[in-house]
Amino acid sequence: MSAIVHIVEYDFRNFFRYKWWLVGMISMNLADLFIMAIVYNQMLSLKVTEQIGTYFNFFAPGLAVTGLFASAFMIGREVNMERRREVHHYMLSLPMTRMELAIGRVLSGGIRGMIYMSPLLLTCFIFLGFPTVWQLLVILAVLFLLAVGISGLSIAIAVSTSSLEKFITARGLVYYTLFFCSSVFYPLSLIEGLGRDGKFPMVLVTLAEVNPLSGASDMIRSFLLVGYPPFSYASILNVVVFSAVFTFSAAFAYIKIIERK
Amino acid sequence: MSQIALFGLIASRMMSMQYYFQYYVAGLSVMTLYSAAIFIGFDIYEEAEHGVFEYLLSLPVSRRQLVLGRSIGGGLRAFIYVGPLIALSLYVIGAINPLSFLVALFALFLFSFGVSGMSITLAVIIKSSDRFDILMGVLDALIVRLSTAMYPLAVVQAANPLYGGLATFNPITFAADLFRWGTGIEAIITPLSNPLWPLLGIIAFFSFFTFFGVIIYDRRIEGGGWQ
Repeated sequence: MSAIVHIVEYDFRNFFRYKWWLVGMISMNLADLFIMAIVYNQMLSLKVTEQIGTYFNFFAPGLAVTGLFASAFMIGREVNMERRREVHHYMLSLPMTRMELAIGRVLSGGIRGMIYMSPLLLTCFIFLGFPTVWQLLVILAVLFLLAVGISGLSIAIAVSTSSLEKFITARGLVYYTLFFCSSVFYPLSLIEGLGRDGKFPMVLVTLAEVNPLSGASDMIRSFLLVGYPPFSYASILNVVVFSAVFTFSAAFAYIKIIERK
Repeated sequence: MSQIALFGLIASRMMSMQYYFQYYVAGLSVMTLYSAAIFIGFDIYEEAEHGVFEYLLSLPVSRRQLVLGRSIGGGLRAFIYVGPLIALSLYVIGAINPLSFLVALFALFLFSFGVSGMSITLAVIIKSSDRFDILMGVLDALIVRLSTAMYPLAVVQAANPLYGGLATFNPITFAADLFRWGTGIEAIITPLSNPLWPLLGIIAFFSFFTFFGVIIYDRRIEGGGWQ
């Protein structure tokens, strides 16, 4: 257990080396909320306004989830860099088991995501209202699972790609697919409507429905917004499954791949 | 491309504005052109790190030629990078008047050179790649969102008069409005009263950052001053 704590501490020190970068990222996220979302408020169709209310309120929980995703994904870039610069040999020489090393990396990526996301989530609460204690605990637990799953996904990609370019390309693909095929920016019903009209591939509609980013955003909305979307256990289940799959795949991939010469 | 196919298509369903998809596609081309033209600033840091800067300074060209060449090169390569996206925009929107489109294309060239000039100027002033990275990120967030790249000016003004005021004098607004005017989509959504105004805005932006860039570059790089 103490070995895992050491790994978490190591990754935290790395994370806070980029504190100004983090400030820049948070301001960008806030610009999305306080400029883009406010302008989009004026442009929503009547039908969508009746469904979701204002775009600002709808987007605020989605923004917290995108911030969580981006920051939890950062661990992958570091793991990829370590692999390219062969720092992983040093990591493997540390007095700890491979499993402790792998779990420590996945866990620290998740905790870093939670820390980065917290000012965004707080902003969301300030404008949309605070949840009850139980709701808050559920939100934090689900977001933590999501962050750990994202961290696992990014580590799995990082150890499977040999160059930074390949990692960045894979990251871009994952980012765009998971962000835009989700209910982070727009209600799920719009994507489903496009699918029914034959204007959007059904496979992408299904992806949006099971996407953990959709699940986490809609869960926060169901607690903070009145009426839309309804609370669903399925969305929490999607996050739990995603987290379990990617935490274990990342741990397995990390152990197996970094031992290769 | 995925932003058009996914975000553009789905978001257009959410909006009350007709032809939002076409509007967004045109704006995205200008946003991407801006982001691509900014990259020249990062190259300057890389060159400084690898000692290429000294080599460039030793070339038999004046400082003015060097910075002008960098600005034009940075702008041109950004334009080549965004070329397929502009072609896709034309496919989605369709250009009505070829003459207007050529004027718009010329304005985009100037815009792209101006952004490169701005990036070089800021890179040389700031001298720290980390700070530059952060500033560019924040600037990107503000300059793109406070423009008409994603929404018409009237909507921005209705949302917040301050945002509207800032968007009115934003070079991205000038470029996006002119590009849409060139393709004809502007006439359908929010007619541009006088295309000369944004064109002059882009010329002023280009001139300022190119010539200001030359002066700053000249003063900052001598005697290892860029380090």
